[in-house]
Amino acid sequence: MTRVEPSEQVSLPTENAARPAAGGGPWILAGRRLSHNRSAMAAATLLAIIVAVTLLAPLYAHHVAHTDPFGSNLAGRTIVDGKHVDVLQQSGGLGLGVTPIGPTWDVHHYFLGADSEGRDVAARILYGGQASLLIAVGAALGSMLIASVLALVAGFFGGLVDTLLSRLMDILWAFPVFLLAILITTVSLTQGLRFGPISISTSGVVLPIVVIALIFVPFQYRPIRGQVLTVRERDFVKAAIVQGASARWLLWEEILPNVVNTLIVFLPLVMGINLLVESGLSFLGIGVQPPAASWGSIIGDSQNLLYTRPWVAMGPGIMIVLTVVGLNVLGDGVRDAFDPNVRRLVPAA
Amino acid sequence: MGTFIVRRTLWTLLVLISISVLVFLLFFSIPGIDPAVAMAGRNPDPATIRAISHAFGLDRALPIQYLLMMKHLFVTRDLQSYTNQGIRVIPEIAAAAPVTLSLVAGAVVLWLVFSIGIGLVAAVFRGRAIDRILMILGLIGIATPSFLLGEAANIVTQSKLHDTPLFHWVPPLGYTPLSQDPVMWFKHLIIPWVVLASAQFIGLYSRILRSSLLDVMHEDYVRTARAKGLSERRVLIRHVLRTSMITFVSLFGLDLGSLVGGGVVLIEVVFALPGVGLLTFQAASGLDLPVIMATIMYGAFFIVLANLLVDIGYTWLDPRIRPA
Amino acid sequence: MQLYRAGIAAVAAVAMTALAACSGGSASGAKGHPSAAGHQGGTLTLLTLDNPGSVDTAINYGTAWAEENIVYDGLMAYQKTTGSAGNKLVPDLATAIPTPTDAAKTYAFHIRQHIRYSNGTTLKPSDVTNTFERMFKVHGPTAGAFYRGIAGAPACLAKPPTCDLSTGIVANDSANTVTFHLLAPDGEFLDKLALAFAFVVPSSAPNTDVGNNAMPGTGPYMFKQYTPNKQIKLVRNPYFKEWSPAAQPKGYPDTIVLAFGLPLEGAITEVENNQADAVVSAESLPADRLNELSTKYASRTHLNSATAIFYMALNVQVAPFNNIKVRQAVNYAADRNALVKIQGGPKLAVPSCQVLPPQFPGYQQYCPYTASPAPGGRGPWKAPDMAKARSLVAASGTKGQTVTIVNPNTPLGKSTGVYFEGLLNKLGYKASLKLLAPEVANTFVKDSRHKVQITTTIWYQDYQAASDFLVPLTGCAGFRPESGANANISEFCDHKSSADMDRALALQVRDPTAANQLWANIDREVTNQAPMVVMFNPKVVTFVSARVGNFKYNSQWGPLWDQTWVQ
Repeated sequence: MTRVEPSEQVSLPTENAARPAAGGGPWILAGRRLSHNRSAMAAATLLAIIVAVTLLAPLYAHHVAHTDPFGSNLAGRTIVDGKHVDVLQQSGGLGLGVTPIGPTWDVHHYFLGADSEGRDVAARILYGGQASLLIAVGAALGSMLIASVLALVAGFFGGLVDTLLSRLMDILWAFPVFLLAILITTVSLTQGLRFGPISISTSGVVLPIVVIALIFVPFQYRPIRGQVLTVRERDFVKAAIVQGASARWLLWEEILPNVVNTLIVFLPLVMGINLLVESGLSFLGIGVQPPAASWGSIIGDSQNLLYTRPWVAMGPGIMIVLTVVGLNVLGDGVRDAFDPNVRRLVPAA
Repeated sequence: MGTFIVRRTLWTLLVLISISVLVFLLFFSIPGIDPAVAMAGRNPDPATIRAISHAFGLDRALPIQYLLMMKHLFVTRDLQSYTNQGIRVIPEIAAAAPVTLSLVAGAVVLWLVFSIGIGLVAAVFRGRAIDRILMILGLIGIATPSFLLGEAANIVTQSKLHDTPLFHWVPPLGYTPLSQDPVMWFKHLIIPWVVLASAQFIGLYSRILRSSLLDVMHEDYVRTARAKGLSERRVLIRHVLRTSMITFVSLFGLDLGSLVGGGVVLIEVVFALPGVGLLTFQAASGLDLPVIMATIMYGAFFIVLANLLVDIGYTWLDPRIRPA
Repeated sequence: MQLYRAGIAAVAAVAMTALAACSGGSASGAKGHPSAAGHQGGTLTLLTLDNPGSVDTAINYGTAWAEENIVYDGLMAYQKTTGSAGNKLVPDLATAIPTPTDAAKTYAFHIRQHIRYSNGTTLKPSDVTNTFERMFKVHGPTAGAFYRGIAGAPACLAKPPTCDLSTGIVANDSANTVTFHLLAPDGEFLDKLALAFAFVVPSSAPNTDVGNNAMPGTGPYMFKQYTPNKQIKLVRNPYFKEWSPAAQPKGYPDTIVLAFGLPLEGAITEVENNQADAVVSAESLPADRLNELSTKYASRTHLNSATAIFYMALNVQVAPFNNIKVRQAVNYAADRNALVKIQGGPKLAVPSCQVLPPQFPGYQQYCPYTASPAPGGRGPWKAPDMAKARSLVAASGTKGQTVTIVNPNTPLGKSTGVYFEGLLNKLGYKASLKLLAPEVANTFVKDSRHKVQITTTIWYQDYQAASDFLVPLTGCAGFRPESGANANISEFCDHKSSADMDRALALQVRDPTAANQLWANIDREVTNQAPMVVMFNPKVVTFVSARVGNFKYNSQWGPLWDQTWVQ
């Protein structure tokens, strides 16, 4: 897993983004700019479709494929070309081993085939998408929240607090980030996740959300702290502080709007990175825990079927790529919308 | 300068010590997983478990245990694994390190050559079809998890097209040391190199380079250089590229440190390369603290080193920072 | 023996214990040496996923037995051959099997003379005493379980560094004798002397885990090289002269290499291409490749029964499994035909309901937990009986309780975990699954403080005796409350059946046949109490290269690699 620093991928919105411009607030203006950006709109549409499709998972599983995407179905049977067959089929010759059926391209019966537990791969990809997207969003919001609080504390109080926090972040920064995620996860899976008296279940999507949120805090902390300091250093803010402006005014009127803008610009890109990290962890078997599934865990489970049933791995893989491409293009669009002066990374498609 | 180096070294030491303490505490936050039980085998006698606990110092106070572990790791260098009995940790890392280094080195060559080439071409032909195609390909590369691309490569080269002349030369997954058979070493690694470089790195770096190239082309000193009548190519290579490499190099340094330190675990898993990442992953899965400690320290060392080199490289590359 | 570290191919050799002769290779010219002389020499290359850890004979638990048994010798040995003859004890370093005296508590051995270790020194009777003292000093994993019956052993267990067995094992170097004094009669003592833990090593061996610096042995091969990340290389021991073809025959290959690091996928491909000679793996071969082995390479694929059970341990100390109705309900509900598919179908696993594996001493087929059972349950498993299961659950009044399955994060652990989660939900429980890394799971479930309710476990034989399954898995002795060392994961302690086990152990010293009948009764008693859901007895696939001949399986050691031909 590569170490991807969101701070390096996007240029921060400069101050004009936050200053009111003619013809409406900055958000309205940004929204208007975004809606004129065709590639960003295409990406948003793609993402909307992906979200909608994953939300339809129960409909597909219960009313189209009539399958339980999570339960073991080792002895299951289905219909292919009008004939009843085993979902897990016995080998010929010496008869060693069983192989799940491959794609039937029939939406009612194992459209993309079965996995090694005899479960419908297509239905699992839809449900897996829910988990993957939830983790991507949840972890992005989580790490941003923690990083913002820490950065606000550091930037606001300055001095020793700032030094200590920033040094702590520097130390965490030196951890091999993906290995840190692996370490926290394996430890947490054994005894549950505990913060003092609070204990969090490791099943489902909670653990990956917490772990991914935690490991990216140092990477988000730096730019947000920089943002806070920049605002504080501005002449009119300095002047206001000298004139006795309240801390609340400073926080709500000046610092928060800027930080929120930064976060909005980060959000899609961070979500993309989170999705990749989650898929990596789940691929290693330490992300989303069975019987729940994410795109990454479906790929991880299919390692024993890679050569005979490549669709089990490639199906969710394509979904990951599409989603992350969509998030990146949308992210570029959002950044451009908030800060049209920054040159675009992606040429308009 | 002298004080800078001293301060920097002390800081590095502090970072590494803090990381070792953090790892140690993280591990001991798990109650009930007693390494001595794992070591005592099936149906062990409680007396045996106590004896093993004592022999490994697991019955001592935590700070003493920490110091003992550090002593075995750095002073006597005979730290032993908890789960892989009788196996020493340092030789294990020494054996895994060349695998990861080989993997990263080859991928780095590919990713530098291609990302600089693509970044330059895209910047020069900005807005044209070739720019768009390259940037879209880069985007797909960024969005592709390395393990997925690796599995796709395996499906094609190990199975679907293995019996065609195109991929018949591809050996079974695994690793052969360079010293043992350079040809096999290359055959084992070429596909992982391509996968590692193309998933994320080439795409990310070419896009970053392109955008900083475009930024720099409008800077004053570049305009001056142009105005002085220097050829466009000379301007591009001598002035623009060099300055544009700042972001590129700083990111590159950090990525390199992280990869050499074990960040390539997914590629190592997919291609069965017994490198540092795989070692760390296996150790973490088995909660094998001595190995985790050693590999994380090893990885953190490279990251700290990379940070240092990036800082130095920064001043060297940026004409605005360099003293006149 | 419980298996863990699957995926790291730890427990290679013993996982492959087998009874049936294999399908190919063993028929021709294997008997006498003259006809096979032409097959001497060559290098046999075995591929495995990871190194076997320490090859200290006192410490290694099964991962390197296939190598150790051709490097070292014990006083006794299992005959180096296939089939049931492979379970027969023959004297190895001893000249003859002694008749125990002193109410079956004393065994006097004569030691063969002029046997030399691979470092050139000569074997002495006092080495035997030293070997056993050393086993306690290095905290051998079975020192307590198997050898605490030797006089002086309890003190050694309590204080290993000062272990002194001179009263329990009396060696006389001038008379070439070794005499063992036991605290109580032990019908399995001679078996225990044939195990790898009891292989005799020189007195010069250090009293610490030697790790990968193997000690010298007396067998036909010696460890030439052990590089943890690369390979183990065995070459001929220059001082070896064959003294008993039954106990320790001269081997065929000049060199045996066990190479690590190649994943199973790659290993199978290399063996298919004859670049290596066999795949050695504790876990089942990838489902992806079984089909081609089954069809394209059928003649090179050997299938052998393993004396093992794959089972779900039900913790009888905690709800809902403290209720016998619930335990029986799960037993009735488990569809063993479905579970067999996890292992690769009926050719690779045979459904079972009972503790003892087939062909074991004391085995009598018994399966009460099936639809339409045979009279008295004396027949095979046929089909699940969900109706009966549901009514038992209803009668137990435990419906709606929560059950957490704790399983190793292996393909087997995942598949069985998901299966039983679904099954328990169907029976009306709120089931969830917790997967841990194999090494962690193994330690976790064995810790009775964690109160694990249900887990997937595997048990392979240590040696062929009913007690090796029934006592540790279902006897009171194996259950240790509030302890990290609880081998009896079901925490099952029924005083009647445990007393029967003690009787059977005592009985088999003088009347093995009667003892086996008693063991069969105990097997049924325990099965009726349902402390576990036995799923199946597995088979083991060994895939070899085209040049491998004379492939032989031994029920104790797995493939007898020294007996295979590579030319």
